[in-house]
Amino acid sequence: MPNKQKIKGAEALLLSLIAEGTDTIFGYPGGQVIPIYDHLYSHTDQLHHILTRHEQGAVHAAQGYARATGKVGVCLATSGPGATNLVTGIADAMLDSTPIICITGQVPSSLLGTDAFQEADTISMTMPISKWNFQVTKASEIPGAIAKAYYIAQTGRPGPVVIDIAKNAQVEEFDFSYKPCIYLRSYTPKPILDETQIVQAVQMINASQKPLLLIGQGVKLSGAETQLIEFAEAAGVPMAATLMGISAVPNEHPLFIGNLGMHGNIAANQMTQQSDLILAVGMRFSDRVTGDVKNYAPQAKIIQIDIDRAELGKNIAVDLAIHADAAEALKALKKGIQYHDRAAWLHTADACNQQELRDVIQPSTDPNGTYISMYDVVSTLAEVEKSDAVIVTDVGQNQMFSARYSRFKHTRSFITSGGLGTMGFGLPAAMGAKLGVPDKEVVAILGDGGFQMTMQELGTIMQNQIGLKMIVVNNTYLGMVRQWQQLFFHKRYSFTELENPDFTTIAGAYGIANRRVERLADLRSGIEELAAAPGAFFLEVDVPPEENVFPMVPAGASLSNTICKE
Amino acid sequence: MVKEYIVIAFTENQIGVLNRITALYLRRKINIESLKVSESSIRGISMFVISAFTTEEVIDKLVQQLRNIIEVIQVEYYSNDELITQEIALYKITSKIFRESGTVDMIIREWGARIIEMNPSFVVVEKTGAREEIENLRTELEERHLLTEFTRSGSVVLHREPFADKLADKL
Repeated sequence: MPNKQKIKGAEALLLSLIAEGTDTIFGYPGGQVIPIYDHLYSHTDQLHHILTRHEQGAVHAAQGYARATGKVGVCLATSGPGATNLVTGIADAMLDSTPIICITGQVPSSLLGTDAFQEADTISMTMPISKWNFQVTKASEIPGAIAKAYYIAQTGRPGPVVIDIAKNAQVEEFDFSYKPCIYLRSYTPKPILDETQIVQAVQMINASQKPLLLIGQGVKLSGAETQLIEFAEAAGVPMAATLMGISAVPNEHPLFIGNLGMHGNIAANQMTQQSDLILAVGMRFSDRVTGDVKNYAPQAKIIQIDIDRAELGKNIAVDLAIHADAAEALKALKKGIQYHDRAAWLHTADACNQQELRDVIQPSTDPNGTYISMYDVVSTLAEVEKSDAVIVTDVGQNQMFSARYSRFKHTRSFITSGGLGTMGFGLPAAMGAKLGVPDKEVVAILGDGGFQMTMQELGTIMQNQIGLKMIVVNNTYLGMVRQWQQLFFHKRYSFTELENPDFTTIAGAYGIANRRVERLADLRSGIEELAAAPGAFFLEVDVPPEENVFPMVPAGASLSNTICKE
Repeated sequence: MVKEYIVIAFTENQIGVLNRITALYLRRKINIESLKVSESSIRGISMFVISAFTTEEVIDKLVQQLRNIIEVIQVEYYSNDELITQEIALYKITSKIFRESGTVDMIIREWGARIIEMNPSFVVVEKTGAREEIENLRTELEERHLLTEFTRSGSVVLHREPFADKLADKL
C-alpha cells in the first residue's frame, strides 16, 4: 500500500484517488481547492482532470462516467457556490443509485461557522441527498475518509458520497499511508440470501401461468445481466424493463417484451395487469412505473428482490420480499426452476405490439414525408448505429422517444436521469460517458430546452477533443410540459415556448462539426454523417412543435387506462 | 391508526448522525415529541430514543430508511407498552406553597417526589415516573397556581427483552 512521509493533505488526496484506481476526475477550481489543483499540476500523468464549464457539468459528467463504466465517478469543486452547484447532481445520483464521490473545498476549520467568504454548510446541505458525507478538518483524516468514500459509494446499493475538505487540511503535512476500506461494523452492504425464501419463490414461479420479470437498474448495478437471462430462459418467463433497466437485456431477446411505465410499451404495461406473478428484480415500483398503485397488477402475487431493504414493500405491498443481491438471487432461483412453455402468454405481447404499431408507431412518420418525428430520429439512429451505441438522453420527450425507440445489444448502454428527471443532465453525462468508454460510440439525444441548461459544456468538448455525438431535437417547446398542457390544461401553453438561437452556429463557434436537418428526406444522411464523423459532431433536427409521446398512462391513472392518441 | 411509537437506535458516536436521523422524520413531516441521545451500555455507541406520533406503516418504512444511515448499527421501533419507560421532571414551585399547610408533604409523599432545592422565593421538586404521572402532578400544581416553571426529560427506556445481547452480536 502507498506510503509517503511528510506530504500535504492535498497530495494525499490525489494519491488516495490514484490508489483506488481512479484515473479521471471532473472539476472546477476555486479559492478553497487551489492547493489540490496545485498538486494536480504535477500528477497529470496519473490523473486526467477534465475542466468543465460549470460544477453541475462536472457532477453530471462523473455520473455519466460511472453509469457507463460501473466504476466510481469523481468530481471536484470549491466551497460555497462550487459545492451548491453540485447539489442537483448529487440528488440525481442518490435517486439513481450512481456511485460518485464529490470532493468539495471548505474554508479553513478556524473559520467554520463564521460566514467566511465562500462558506456554505455543504455537509448539512448534502446530508439528505447523499449516501454518506464527511467533513475533513485535519490532513491525517484524508486517506481514511477517501477509503470509506470508495467503499460506501460502490458497495450495497451504490450512491453519492461527499467529502468536504477544509483548506487547512489540504496544506497541513503528515505521514501518508493508504489502506482501502473493506469493512464498517455499522454497515452491511451485502445481505445474506435466505434459502427458504428462494425455495418459496421457486414454487411460486413454477406454479405461475402468467409470470412476468421486471428488470430494474439493480440488474446492471449487480452485474446480474447473464444470470437474469439464464434464469428467464430456464423458466420461460417474459421480461420487461423499467426506464433505468433499459439495456440490461438486448431488445432482440425473444423473451424481452419492452419497457414499463408512463410511456412504456403497451405489452409490458398490459401484461403487468394480466400477470399472475410479478418477479421484480432491482426495481423500486416508482410511481412512474406503477401508475395508480391500488389498481396495479391486480391479479398478481409479487416477489421483489432488492439489495436495499428499505425498498422492499415501500411503494407496493409484496407477497415475498427477498433482501438480496440480484445476481446471487437469480443464480439461486435458477436451480429449482422448471421450464414451462408459456407460448399463449408470450403471444399476448404480439397482439399488444401490433396495436402499438398501428395506433402509435406507424402514424408517427409523416405520411407526406416532410416533417420529422422524434420517432424517426431515434429509430434511424438505432439502425445506423446498429444498436451498438451508448445513448445518453436529457429529460422530457427526447428521453421518452429515446427510451422507446433506441435498440441495445449491450448493457449500460442507456444513460438517463430517471428518478430526479434532471433537465441539463444529458450533455455533460454523455461527455463523462464518452471519456469512460472512449472506444464506444456515445450519442447524446437532447431537447432544445435541456440542451440550453448546460450547453456551455460544448467548451469542455472542444478543449478536451471529446468525440461525442450530439443530436438536438428542436421543437421550440419544453415539449413534455407542453404535452401535459395540451392534454390536461386545455392547451394553455403557459411559458413553454422557446425562441431559440441557431444551434449549429453555436456548435460551430466551438469548432464542432455540425449540420441541421429540417426535412425527413435529409434525416438519414444527417445521421449517417454524424455516425461517420471521426470526432465530435452536432446535429440539430427540427421536429414539429406539437408532437406528443404516446402511449401514455396519465399520472395517477391505472396502467389499464393507457391513452394512445390525443 | 396514529399512535406513539418509540424508535430506539444504536449508532456510532459520530458527528452528523443526529441530523441524518432527524432529517428522515422531517422529510415525512413527522414531529418528534421527545428525543434523548446518550452513550449506550457499550462505549462509543450512542443510544437514541425518539418518540413520535405516526402510523405503523409509516414508522415501519421510516425505520427501514434509518437502517440505511451508514453509522446506524441497529434500529427498532416499539409501542409504549413494550418498554420500561421513565422520565424525569423538575417543577419550580412558588414559595406560596409554604402558606398552604401540608402541601409540601402531600407532594413528596403522595407523588413520590423529592425536594432538591429550597429557598425563600421558590422550591424545586424532582419527580421520576411515567410521563402520565409527571403530567398529572403538573396539572395539579397548575390548578393550585403554584407552578412557575416546569421541565421534563425525554424518555429513558429499557426493553423488557434482552436487547444489548442482540446488539453485541452485531459488533
